[in-house]
Parts: sequence; structure tokens; C-alpha cells
Amino acid sequence: MSRISSLQSQFQSAILTLGDEFDDEIVATERLGIKRRIGIYADAYRLRLIECLQDNYSALHTMLGDDEFDRLCRSYIDTHTPHHYSVRWYGDRLAEFLAETTPYCEHPYLAELAAFEWKLMEAFDERDVAPVTVEDMAAIPPDQWPHLTFALHPSLRRLELTWNVAAMRSATDDDRDPPAPQQGDQPVPWIIWRSQLQQFYRSLAADEARMLGQAQGGDDFAALCAGLCQWNGESEVAARAAGLLKQWINDGLITRIGV
Amino acid sequence: MQKPAVKKLPFLGFGLGLRTSHYETVLAELPPNIDWFEILSENYLVAGGKPLYYLDAIRDHYPMIMHGVSMSIGSSDPLNGDYLEQLKKLADRVQPAWFSDHLCWTGLDGKNIHDLLPLPYTEETIAHVAGRIRQVQDFMERPMLIENVSSYLTYKDSAMTEWEFLTGIAERADCHILLDINNIYVSAFNHGFDPHEYLNYIPVERVGQFHLAGHTNYGDYIIDSHDHPVIDPVWELYADALRRFGPVSIMIERDDHIPPLDELVPELDRARSIAQPILKEMAA
Repeated sequence: MSRISSLQSQFQSAILTLGDEFDDEIVATERLGIKRRIGIYADAYRLRLIECLQDNYSALHTMLGDDEFDRLCRSYIDTHTPHHYSVRWYGDRLAEFLAETTPYCEHPYLAELAAFEWKLMEAFDERDVAPVTVEDMAAIPPDQWPHLTFALHPSLRRLELTWNVAAMRSATDDDRDPPAPQQGDQPVPWIIWRSQLQQFYRSLAADEARMLGQAQGGDDFAALCAGLCQWNGESEVAARAAGLLKQWINDGLITRIGV
Repeated sequence: MQKPAVKKLPFLGFGLGLRTSHYETVLAELPPNIDWFEILSENYLVAGGKPLYYLDAIRDHYPMIMHGVSMSIGSSDPLNGDYLEQLKKLADRVQPAWFSDHLCWTGLDGKNIHDLLPLPYTEETIAHVAGRIRQVQDFMERPMLIENVSSYLTYKDSAMTEWEFLTGIAERADCHILLDINNIYVSAFNHGFDPHEYLNYIPVERVGQFHLAGHTNYGDYIIDSHDHPVIDPVWELYADALRRFGPVSIMIERDDHIPPLDELVPELDRARSIAQPILKEMAA
């Protein structure tokens, strides 16, 4: 190991684990002791990551309050060293950490909220692709409809929520007091996506969730209609499928129609 | 032995750091007294969405420079090829006058501490860093500027001053220097050296850009926090730097407690009004 490499290894370890192995390598001065000089770096490391987690998880921060959020960040930081060159990606395992770690796992809405906020972040700067328009769709001859397939916007993210975490985030974004955690009867499918520069999220009815899953899997329109039969009468299926498709187009979710 | 001629970088005037909270104002008002913007490269190493939209829109109206924090040029880890490829793609998009990063390391063993950690000032480090800068400049096919960082500790291994170290690297790598005037002030305070000795040692032709910023004084040490206006002693040091280095592109950094643009522009005007008589006198 080169001398630089060994010094860097000791310095990094002093920042991460607050050990004293690096102390002997530093010049002490009367005004500022070795511990405080290294401490400036160790503190800055933690404060920078806490600030990043505050940005990425604004509603979680609001729900926990400053002190509890700070404690959470510090225990996450102790077990998760950043690897990515952009600090923006720090916190990608927070939902998992909350689901597995006491006392957070005793409040399952926390992990759900973190998963929701992380997916919003992912949608924020995902690839740009122009959506198709209702006019594009209308230009396709009706006899081709059964064979149409659909590409969905790359920012589309899906998750199932049992708690009212979307309302928590929405209140935080609007500077309102968030609602108290409330558990629903069963998990509800949600989607998050970006249209132009704006992020959106909404819940899906069971038949829409099924149809969207099939569309993502590459099924054609005829198969999407067939999939809806579980929820809709035979005479209503085509209209329901066309209605959902129109809604997706208006939402900016469809980026290509395969004929 | 005669040193090779160094091509002086062009004077772009007076710039600001591009910050998300100013996007809309910049596009709506196109402030004429901001000559150029410096972007934080890592903020735009993304696939799409708002960051790249505003980057392109503002680039249509202003020259830009790319300033990075994650190259980790001094680390003993290998250079991050994926990072450099992304950076080059961004440079192809932005067409910056140049790009810069810091004379520091940011992590080891694939970890990223997200801080500008100081290096030991030794011949071994000079050889290590200069070789890597040459590699990066060859890959990027653009001039690289290396910036002096604020530091809070000194290695026992260090065998030279910071200004000898910085100059040694710039000459060995044949790169330019981004001289951060505030960082010189901060480190001079933290380590007890004379900032003028620093300025007077740096080769004039190597300096391509200045940074100015505010800091936080804790009494027995100063942190380079970029969250306050530039203080008077740093303005004075800046004037001295202008007298030595002449017309060098100047930029004010603000990364925290970011005020509205109309509060930052007067600070940039101050940088301009300090520079104009000095540069005029030098040109006479």
C-alpha cells in the first residue's frame, strides 16, 4: 500500500467510525487540537448526508419531527456509506432500513412513506420521452386497435400503499399539516410518474391496475380488454378499456403505440 | 530550463453559480449583468426532467463553465470511468469554456464521503495527482482547472506549502488553476500562513478563474460554508489577486441560505466595480 493510500484509509476510517488511528498523522496546534480538526470533517460528513436525506424525504422528516428524523439519519448513516458520485442518490435503502429496524418497523407507515418519496425522486429526473396524443390515437384505423401495444413513460413507478402516505407528502408539499397515519383495509395500487416537468401520483382501481400491468408486459389491446372481464360486463369492456387508455394518454403515460 | 508556454484562458467576465431557486428568474429576466454561469456538474448528471430542461434553456442565453465535486482526483482509488464518461457527455451538451474540480480526494474503496478532503503535500502526491489530471484532460479533450480547497488539518507528511503543492501539480500536469480567494483566506486563518505569500507564489499564466464566497467564523477556526456574503478582508485579497493576475474570470459561489437573485447580483456588481479600475490601470 502506498503512503497516500494508507493515509487516506486512516482518514476515511476516522470520519466513518470516529476512531483515533489517524490522530498520529496530524499536526497539532495550540489553537485547535487534533480531535477537533478531524471532528470538523466527521461532523461535515454527517451533516451533509442528513441535509440530503431531508431533501429526499421531506414528508418523512415532517412526520418524525427534527429530533427523531436526525436520530434516524444518524443510525442510517452509521450503517450505509455512500458510494455514488452524486449525493442525490443517497438514501436509496432507507425504506428497507425502516422496515427492518426497531423502533421504526413498529410503525409500518414509515417504510411505506419512504418508498413513496424515493419513487417520486426517481420520477423527477428520469429520461425524457415525448408522450403520444389523443390525435395520434384517433388517427389509427379501428380495425388495427385489437393489435395495438403500448410503451409507457420511463418515469412510471408503481407501488401498493396501505397507509395514507400520499396525503402526508401532498400536505408537506403544500405546507399544510400532514394527516395522522391511517391504515386502509387493504393495499391499494398507486402510480407515480412525470409528465413534462411535473410529477404526478394517483391510486388505481383494481381493473386499471391489471390493465396497466398487462400493457407494461407488452400485451395488445385485445388482451387488455379480455383482462378487464373479471371486473366488467362483456358489453362494457371495450368502452372501459378505451376510457382508461384515453386517461393514460391525457396523463402523458403513453410514449409509443405499436401497430 | 525554460518552462513551456502556457496559454492564458479567456476572460469571461463576472459569473454566478447557477442554482435551482434562480432558474425561473434567470429565464424571465435574462439579467444582463451576469456574464456567465458556473454549473455544479453532478446536478446535471441525470437522465432528464427539470435539471436538464433548465440547463439547456439557460445555456441558450449564457456561456457556462462546469464545476465538479466528485472527480476525487487525489484518491488512491482508480479514476471512476463511468463518472468521466457522464461528465464528457455533459460537456458535449453544455460546451463549457472549461471544466474544473478540486485538488482533493473524496473517498476510498469505492466509498464517497462527499467532502473535499485535503491531501498530504509531498512529491509522491504531486506525481500521483498530476498523472491523473493528464489522463482526465486527454479523455475530456478540454482544459481542466484545479481548485485549491479550504482545509482544517495538516498532515505530518507534508513537506511543502500548499501553494508550492498546487503550483507543482499545475505545472507537472500542465493544467490551469481555479484560485478560490475565500479558500486561501480560510486556510490562511486555519493554518496561520500569510495569504499574500500564497498569491505571490502562484504562476500568473496558470490562473484561469477566481472563486469568491462567504464563510462562517467560529472564533478559533473558519468553515468554508458558502452561506454568507463575501467579507471585506476577502474583497481586499481579491483586489490584490487582480493586481497580480490581471483579467481572470470571476465567479461568486453561494450554496446555502441562497438569497433571491436580486440580492446576489449587487455582490457581483461589487466584484465588477473593484475589478474595473484595477484592470484599467493595468491595461494602461
